[in-house]
Amino acid sequence: MNRADLMSLLPEMILCGAGIAILLLDAIAPRLRRSFTLLAVLSVIAAAWGASVAWRTAPGSSFLTWGGLLETSGPTYALSLVILLATGLCLLASQGYLRREGILAGEYHALLLWCAAGLLLMLRGTELLTIFLSLELFSFCLYTLAAFHRRIAIASEAAIKYFLMGAFVSSFVLYGIALLYGATGSTRLVEIGPALASAEGIPIGASLGLLLLVAGFAFKMSIVPFHAWSPDTYQGAPTPFVAFLSVAPKVASALVLYRLLDAVVAGGVPAAIEKWTVVIAALAVLSMLVGNLLALAQRDIKRMLAYSGIAHMGYLLLALVVMDRASLMPVIVYLLAYVLMNAGAFTVVAMLYGRPGEQHLISDLAGQGYRYPLLSACLAICMLSLGGIPPTVGFFGKYLVFLNAVGDGLVGLAVLGVLASLVGVFYYLRVVYYLYMKAEERQPEGLLLDVWGRTAAVVAALGTLALGIWPWELVQWLIEATAR
Amino acid sequence: METILELLLGNTLTRLVFFPTIACLPLLFFPRKATQAVKIYTLAVSLIELVFAVTYLFTHLGADGTFPRVGDGRFTWIEGYGIRYDLVMDGISMPLAMLGIFLLPIVLLGSWKGIDKHWPAFGASMLLLTTGVLGTLLAWDLFLFYIFWEVMLVPMYLIIGIWGGERRIYAAVKFFLFTMAGSLLMLVGILWMAWSFQRLNGGVWSFAYQDMLRLDFPVHQQIWLFAAFALTFAIKVPMFPVHTWLPDAHVEAPTGGSVILAGILLKLGTYGFLRFALPLFPKAAEAAQPLLVGLALTGILYGALVAWVQEDMKKLVAYSSIAHLGFVMLGILAIDQVAWEGALLQMVNHGLSTGALFLLVGMLYDRRHTKKFSEFGGLARVVPVFAFFLVFASLASVGLPALNGFVGEFLILSGAFRTLGWPAVVATFGVVLAAVYLLKMIQLTIWGPLTKDENRELRDLNFRELAVLVPLCVFMIWIGVAPETFLKPSREDLARTLAEYSTGVERPEVAEAVLRPSRRPTLMISEAGR
Repeated sequence: MNRADLMSLLPEMILCGAGIAILLLDAIAPRLRRSFTLLAVLSVIAAAWGASVAWRTAPGSSFLTWGGLLETSGPTYALSLVILLATGLCLLASQGYLRREGILAGEYHALLLWCAAGLLLMLRGTELLTIFLSLELFSFCLYTLAAFHRRIAIASEAAIKYFLMGAFVSSFVLYGIALLYGATGSTRLVEIGPALASAEGIPIGASLGLLLLVAGFAFKMSIVPFHAWSPDTYQGAPTPFVAFLSVAPKVASALVLYRLLDAVVAGGVPAAIEKWTVVIAALAVLSMLVGNLLALAQRDIKRMLAYSGIAHMGYLLLALVVMDRASLMPVIVYLLAYVLMNAGAFTVVAMLYGRPGEQHLISDLAGQGYRYPLLSACLAICMLSLGGIPPTVGFFGKYLVFLNAVGDGLVGLAVLGVLASLVGVFYYLRVVYYLYMKAEERQPEGLLLDVWGRTAAVVAALGTLALGIWPWELVQWLIEATAR
Repeated sequence: METILELLLGNTLTRLVFFPTIACLPLLFFPRKATQAVKIYTLAVSLIELVFAVTYLFTHLGADGTFPRVGDGRFTWIEGYGIRYDLVMDGISMPLAMLGIFLLPIVLLGSWKGIDKHWPAFGASMLLLTTGVLGTLLAWDLFLFYIFWEVMLVPMYLIIGIWGGERRIYAAVKFFLFTMAGSLLMLVGILWMAWSFQRLNGGVWSFAYQDMLRLDFPVHQQIWLFAAFALTFAIKVPMFPVHTWLPDAHVEAPTGGSVILAGILLKLGTYGFLRFALPLFPKAAEAAQPLLVGLALTGILYGALVAWVQEDMKKLVAYSSIAHLGFVMLGILAIDQVAWEGALLQMVNHGLSTGALFLLVGMLYDRRHTKKFSEFGGLARVVPVFAFFLVFASLASVGLPALNGFVGEFLILSGAFRTLGWPAVVATFGVVLAAVYLLKMIQLTIWGPLTKDENRELRDLNFRELAVLVPLCVFMIWIGVAPETFLKPSREDLARTLAEYSTGVERPEVAEAVLRPSRRPTLMISEAGR
């Protein structure tokens, strides 16, 4: 362990330390609870600074620390910032909700910060056991947070469902690691690729192991057919937390998925690569179709967004069907877009629905566009962005993904993708027309619209628009950062 | 940043396109009750925009009445993909852009009473729609074109959905989904073209219109690309059988929405054929010509026949749009200089006369809250001025000589007869049918005995309504008696596009996509007079 090792862990250490500090403060001075959001947001900003410091030690190249266990590179840096952005938005959105429900407590912030730390670690892990341990670290935080609203039965139900499924998946991942280790003699992804290449044919153990691993991370990304948990969990979990749950784990898992597929490509066995291309294409198509078609039938906005999230991961996978280094940039932009628009949408939903134990019917938004112009405008922008209408970053993300697909010769898949997103437009528009075109039915009660939440919504909406209009600086930076 | 400011402040296309958007911002800060102030503000903005447009027009209009190809210069927008901010106005886009800007104050004035809620949102939607329409017409970069094309959807969706009639949400969503269905496929087509260009151009990207023209695809690829583009534009026109969204949208939209929809939005479909679908994929277009001519003829006859049996004035005018746009499509598909000039003129004509008809129906609706023929009859005795304008606009729409519709239809039919032959003969029946259904409308509403007591107390047109109608009628007469003034600016650019298409058809077939070497545009694009 040397200085570089410690420096590379700076963001995770800041997040863990801040979490512990908040827990202690909660015990010592409970009256300070209201300022925890500020503290937590500041520590997220500090963690972002820490990530940049860690990356700056050798900018423009990727380097390994802790004996090759952790990688620090352009993509991990970029995605770390994306995860921290999601964490920050979630923290801002949570304050009003926790106060309104009377469950404001330091554990919430601490768990969220630790969860972010786990995600950052998993993002950077280049070795399967490191990845597994960080997976467990953030998963436990997620299970607990999903059940955070103790008084509501539906929240406990959501958390139990998520926990049971998640526990299964953890064992899948662990078993996959064991099989892969048995077949290749290593848990390091850089060594697994060449080991696969030198093996006679494709060892059945390695294929099965990889399949289990992909299934595990597809579960975290809620890709069909591993998606069943997400609508129920989103519906029951505290809404501002869903703003985090629905985006951040997907961001980290997407990069791990990329690393796994990258190992296969590095293996260089054409038959294996072809097989995985088919598998990923099938997952993408299934997710796009199932996600969009089921979202169409939803009347609850949280469930609708859950299914739409499944569809979005399908679009994302289009970029990974043909794996090359150029796939990474569209994936990162798409994830950033998804974080902004989805977290923005859930933030507004958290504020405009006053009864967390009940269904969040889309029809309850009727006429709210004129009662809450600012929040409704933010929600509408996020919806249009999710639907891929320019000039929003949602459109630009889709543009990059489809362009990548067309460039890889997958015109058929791209056409399927745009048709699926047409279905998506229909249910996103439903939110817009309830907001603006229906007369208000009943005045909402018991809402608490605080400055923090408004800030989160406005940041998300403005970010969605700004990055949709001026995307190039970001893309250019990402192209350079992912070039190696 | 400095260039943006410079462009916005100068006499440029950028100012024309983005001034309405910028002028939206103050609408956020008007007090909720200040409806009158919002109306006056929006109208003032639209008039300023009109002044800007006229200034721009006369800065560049040649002494001999021709219009050059002028632009703001090219600016990089999204560098790595060669996406440019490139606005150019030429003889083809100029009349349509001017029509769009000209209709804006008329529509706002026409909606003065009809729109009774959320005026700030209405004004903002109208202004944003104008930005979208102008951007679509002026973009010379396919990516930019696509962005504006989609941007246009949202305000129109809001206009139909918020201020529309009973089934407004159904109509608004249908409008949105139909348009989006086409344009998403076009997006894949655009991506494919840009990607092919990049592959053939050593990794350097471009979406520029002039660069896309250099791409030569083998016929089997052209067919697919043409299909994607043609479907998008055909939905917008709308051509039979993808027209079904139009009657719903028109009937449910408020008067102002209908006027803009018929006046400008539909023209973007025919404009798209003329500007993009035909010159970019000439071989495929040639192959698809018989099919498309058949659809255009079907549209003419079907639209006319369905209009004939309508019992609702607005539906009648809506279906008449399908027939009229069928004429425009026939003119475009005739691939003939005269027919093209007629088609372009007919696009403007349709905007004027159908716009006037929709406004008149709206005025009647404001008074009686119905559009059914059975509720009217003998109105000429009660509201003679209204009756005069209804007859006037109908005759212009039918194609009475000395009014605008005649010139356009005559040019289209004579051009089409030269190149297509018998389809022009069939289309002539459409003109007859147009007379039948429009005269039926006049007959049932303003002639005959005054049957309903409710109609005895109707007020005639007031000063505001006259101010709405008179400018439209002035142009109807002007185009009717001096069409050359309106044909001349477009002639050269139409000829150039025609030449582009014809050389494309004759070019030998290629087995693989090819990029032809760049040749300097025949006319330099002059930097705008800043």
